Amino acid sequence: MKVSKRLYSYYLIWPALLIYSVFFVLPALTGLFYSFTDWRLDRENIQFIGWDNFERIFTDRTLLLAIKNTAIFAVVTVIGKNLLGIALAVGLNMKLKSKNLLRAIFYSPSILSVLVISIVFTPMLRSDGTINRIFEAVGLPSLSQAWLTNPALVIWTVAFVSIWQHTGFQMAIYLAGLQSISKEYYEAATIDGAGSWRSFRSITIPLLLPAININLMLTLIGGLKVFSEVFVLTGGGPGNASQVVGTIILRSFGEGSWGLGTAVNTLLFAAVTIIAIPLLIFMRRKEVSE
Amino acid sequence: MSFSRKMAWRNYVVEGLLILASLLIILPLLIMLFGSFMTSAEVLKFSLRLPEKWNFSNYTTVFREGGLGRAFLNGMLITGVSSILNIFTSSAASFILVRRETKWSNFLYMFFFMGLIAPMSTITTIRVVQWMGFYGSITSVILIYASLNTAFSVFLYSGFIRSIPKALDEVAFLEGANTFDVFFKIVTPLIVPVNATVAIMVFMSVWNDITIPLYFLTDSSDWTMPLSVYNFYGKYSRDWNLIFADLVLTSLPVLILYIFCQKYIVSGLTAGAVKG
Repeated sequence: MKVSKRLYSYYLIWPALLIYSVFFVLPALTGLFYSFTDWRLDRENIQFIGWDNFERIFTDRTLLLAIKNTAIFAVVTVIGKNLLGIALAVGLNMKLKSKNLLRAIFYSPSILSVLVISIVFTPMLRSDGTINRIFEAVGLPSLSQAWLTNPALVIWTVAFVSIWQHTGFQMAIYLAGLQSISKEYYEAATIDGAGSWRSFRSITIPLLLPAININLMLTLIGGLKVFSEVFVLTGGGPGNASQVVGTIILRSFGEGSWGLGTAVNTLLFAAVTIIAIPLLIFMRRKEVSE
Repeated sequence: MSFSRKMAWRNYVVEGLLILASLLIILPLLIMLFGSFMTSAEVLKFSLRLPEKWNFSNYTTVFREGGLGRAFLNGMLITGVSSILNIFTSSAASFILVRRETKWSNFLYMFFFMGLIAPMSTITTIRVVQWMGFYGSITSVILIYASLNTAFSVFLYSGFIRSIPKALDEVAFLEGANTFDVFFKIVTPLIVPVNATVAIMVFMSVWNDITIPLYFLTDSSDWTMPLSVYNFYGKYSRDWNLIFADLVLTSLPVLILYIFCQKYIVSGLTAGAVKG
């Protein structure tokens, strides 16, 4: 007996659809429109100015640097969080006595606020801070650096703090993925004489693909949207050396150049969509072929 | 015999390396925790040591001067209401999206799913909230969080509701129930564990966030704990013992939630890892 689809009334969708559309989709669409205008705090009449905002973004040195920094941060954190995340998960999936405690320790920073971790790291990353003092104590003073004040280094330092905090989250997703792989595959592989590296490459990686995909997506999108880490650790400084797209939007908002700010946001939107959509389609195909 | 001995050796080596690595995670957190009990001179070494004397008074000082009581209640109100709103609206929407299986409902699912990817357009959101006349209010922040979390929650609920047999609804419909009856009396009791997962995930992300309060809460009496702490950090940048105490207090609610509700967090993560 088949029940008519119409019995599932669309009324129940309306509240979610309304809130989501008004506070997320509508701003996104109006943002698209405003990024082609000279919308400013001090202007009565908003004028349509074509691609001018985007031209400015690609000729302004600070804005270009912010785009470059965002890309560096995203790439470095994607690689760091996923490689270390897989390594930790594989290790903690073995029969270790302390595995439950270790899992909890590695996961714990990711439940805290980025604000908390960034403030805790600020004094440790100073020139005379804990990290440099440790390097000196172990006889490696050449490794001490001006972590937060060297313009060439600062975005890498911010990326490191983010990797430190969030790798445990990626680890937890990889662990869940590993635990869904049946032990029998490994037993069969051992009987066939496969070593552990061979088993890892031929069993673990292919069966871990759903977790790898979701983690790549999460870290990449999160990396491109970075804001809080930079805001608290450096405020975009020294000078503008660690500005990213997220902090530029806040600065444009503060300066009242709203048209430019929304244009920067539109660019971020385009970048995230262009990168994420093909990845999503790829994921769907993989799922079907499995 | 030699094979299993080799395995045991390997396990010891891995365990040793992981314990060393875990120290890198624990040390900064302990520096914060111990530092929060020190005097303002003692804390400035930022190295790992127990405080000479445990100054619990740091905590009462920050509580008094940082306006934390108020900030705690603001945070509870914002996180509480936005997660309840989000649970209610997203689970109801997912129920229909999953059961309808039409072109239109598939399109709507993708429409919600885009929210997982697209970045929020902050400046124009402020504009929209201004048009509606409640920019700067706690209400605006609650609604924004509810909308920002819709995509993730719909994704989580849809996966779970798909696994509930449709036959349950069909029997109820044949006995004359309507959509609301079926949703509230049959589906809602079955998705209680997912509600817990969503509530905790939303609570944690909202509680920890500073971006939305920074843009949308213009009045300091409406601030949440992380934003008050950020403000305190700017004002008292010499008294690191007080800053650390402030950070510990801000972290306590999520830590307590994590300790008591680990099960639900893990099931949320598993959904992501296995379903992709």
